[in-house]
Amino acid sequence: MSRISVPTTARLPSSLRVNPSSSTVTKILGRLSRASLISVALDWLDEDNLSLATPYLRPDQEDEDDEDDGDFYPPASSAEELREEYLSLQTRKGSKREILDRIITGDWRHGVSLYQLAIADLQYLYDHPTSQKWSAYKIVPLKSPAEDENGEVEPLEVDRTSLCIPRFHPSLFLKSLQAQILPDIKAHYNLDRHKTLPLLILRIFVIDSPYNTPLSLTSTGNLDTGSKTILIAFPDGSPNIFISKPTSTGPTGASESKSIRALLVEGIPKALSLPRQRVTLQSTSLTTRNLEELLDRKGGTRGNAAGGGWSIYADEKVKESPLSTVLPTPPLSDAMEEEEEQGNGEKKRRARPTTEERIAKRAKLVAQARFGDTGKVDDGKGVERVDLVMEDVWKPTGANADDTDMMDVDEDEGETGGPNVRLTFHGSHVFAGIRQLVECGVIDGEEMPGWMTGEEGVTIGAVRNGRIRGHKGSGL
Amino acid sequence: MSSPPPTSPQPPTLDDEISALQSKINSLKSTLALQTSTLLTAPSTLTLLSSDPKLTSQSALHASHLQQTLYRTCATLTLFRVQDPDPNAVDAGSVLGLRIEVVSRAKFLRPYYVLLNRPWTSFPSLSPAQKKWLQVHRHTVPACIPLGGLAARYLPAPDKKGNNTKRRKQDLAKFARGLRREVVRYHARLGTVADLRKAAGLGRGGGGNESGLVDISPADAEVKHVSVEWEDGRTGRLVMGDDGEIVKLVVVGENGRDREAGRELLGGLGNAGMVRAEEVVKRLAGMNGGG
Repeated sequence: MSRISVPTTARLPSSLRVNPSSSTVTKILGRLSRASLISVALDWLDEDNLSLATPYLRPDQEDEDDEDDGDFYPPASSAEELREEYLSLQTRKGSKREILDRIITGDWRHGVSLYQLAIADLQYLYDHPTSQKWSAYKIVPLKSPAEDENGEVEPLEVDRTSLCIPRFHPSLFLKSLQAQILPDIKAHYNLDRHKTLPLLILRIFVIDSPYNTPLSLTSTGNLDTGSKTILIAFPDGSPNIFISKPTSTGPTGASESKSIRALLVEGIPKALSLPRQRVTLQSTSLTTRNLEELLDRKGGTRGNAAGGGWSIYADEKVKESPLSTVLPTPPLSDAMEEEEEQGNGEKKRRARPTTEERIAKRAKLVAQARFGDTGKVDDGKGVERVDLVMEDVWKPTGANADDTDMMDVDEDEGETGGPNVRLTFHGSHVFAGIRQLVECGVIDGEEMPGWMTGEEGVTIGAVRNGRIRGHKGSGL
Repeated sequence: MSSPPPTSPQPPTLDDEISALQSKINSLKSTLALQTSTLLTAPSTLTLLSSDPKLTSQSALHASHLQQTLYRTCATLTLFRVQDPDPNAVDAGSVLGLRIEVVSRAKFLRPYYVLLNRPWTSFPSLSPAQKKWLQVHRHTVPACIPLGGLAARYLPAPDKKGNNTKRRKQDLAKFARGLRREVVRYHARLGTVADLRKAAGLGRGGGGNESGLVDISPADAEVKHVSVEWEDGRTGRLVMGDDGEIVKLVVVGENGRDREAGRELLGGLGNAGMVRAEEVVKRLAGMNGGG
């Protein structure tokens, strides 16, 4: 450890150790379950990671007898031994506290490296996939800067006609992002592939200190008061990025957390830009906790601009080869046919369906037509909140009463005479809820406006003339 | 269970039997459908059918579908009409669909669709021609294809104020051709990377190979950049052009740039920029086959 701390612009090294008793470490590790803690510890002890997560081992020259007295967690002599130890802990029963204590006061008593913290933090994301709130941004190319007559550089514009798809190179990106970070804060970066989803996750851990020495992490308590974590996810094969809401450890205000996000949103496009090929980030009005939904709407699949009922065009499972001469069955007739067949099979004496049955069946079919294969309760692709502002001219007909049980309707008198209406939908899967209401016949599926199917893929929007404004050409 | 089981009926065998019968039913059903459509569209049956109106209408249906598939197979760009289910949709919900067929590995993939509508029909200030201009409404084209750029070039929005300072025109044919070209190129690049992997003996269970390559994978969304890795830690970047030519190839080893390895990969076929990716595939395949 160097005795003098010199301010630097370098990033925080992954091997930098943090005092295990600091509240950041206990917070990050403490929220993991027992099983996760053990798997994280085993991950640290993996051959590839060992150099960045060295445990506290017994020095060779010391005798075992000297060591044992008073030490509750006697240090192991080798990493392999420790690995065995944790593997045996995996099979045994016990409390989470035991493992946490063992890590903090035993095997990593000399410090937990930033890399270890990053791994533990990601484990939390795998355990709780909805713990982060992500916003999707689109990476769009900018026009090359042009000078006007006075020699001044005009503000950069989005190049709509560009045919180039921005590309992303992780190490180059990190290098240029470091150049964008202000010198009075320090950041630690960790790139990792998501275990199950086609995502590359970048974890940025920021502390308020101009130094990158261990001292800056231990003595002044910078870590506990002003450290923030931001996750950025890069989906494969898609020029979009997802940025999580920063989480901070200390008593930092909401404004600070907002400003660091704003800084990042400003800095990321600069880091993504290449010479003669600048890019910027555009908000896509899609914010959700569900990464799968984000990947479905903004990933490298076909469904990006074909939501709701249009998803039948994006379904890759449907075989539609032009070489097949068999007459295709229209999408909705399959279900009908099957039901009819079942009816025949059961017994022919079944009476004609009653009016209610027919209405219920019709409602199901309408729901299928409007939502396609989306909006199913168990598809795991739900948004938890949708905010809409109604900008339509108010026509007091009184014919359609809103279902106030599931929406909050804030009505204020607007200046234009009509009330300002804002709709907020809450729930674990908003559009699945609407689909269920259509299926039960509460909402008339045929008269339902298109924005209620979620086909626009936005969670914040303004509705005018019955359509979400500014999204007439979705995906463009 | 109504059917009496003959000898030692174990539940799994019965289930197997049921599933086998189910699959048999399905295959017979599909055969029946195939035979029906073949029979109904055969010229010799058409002359026999002329008396029965029900059968003639069926036959006409099949014939039109046959014609559609013929166009889809040969023209690969076809149009169709869709009705937008949204009651508030522009232009009373009429949507024009564009279907792009893609062939990959000797198979037709699910076509890509672009659905276009006419959002400007109700703008009074526009000229009648401009009211009919199209806009991309929905599409299933993957994000790595510059659909937005093509749409901005060939399907620009009309000037709503009505002053035609710039003589802008929409050209659906150019848009469709341009988009199809991009889609086909993308799939060709994907196929080339797969071929490269195969030729280098990578992929499923592929172990030893003569070339010393350990990984070939696309490095960007468009699959224009391909990263190449060798056993000894050298890494390379290969840039593929629009027509499958190798535009650039850089190999970096321990001591900086390794031009020798780059030349070796191209195998004396010439400099980067003149070699086509398929030639590298052939050379790698020949090397592994010989060894």
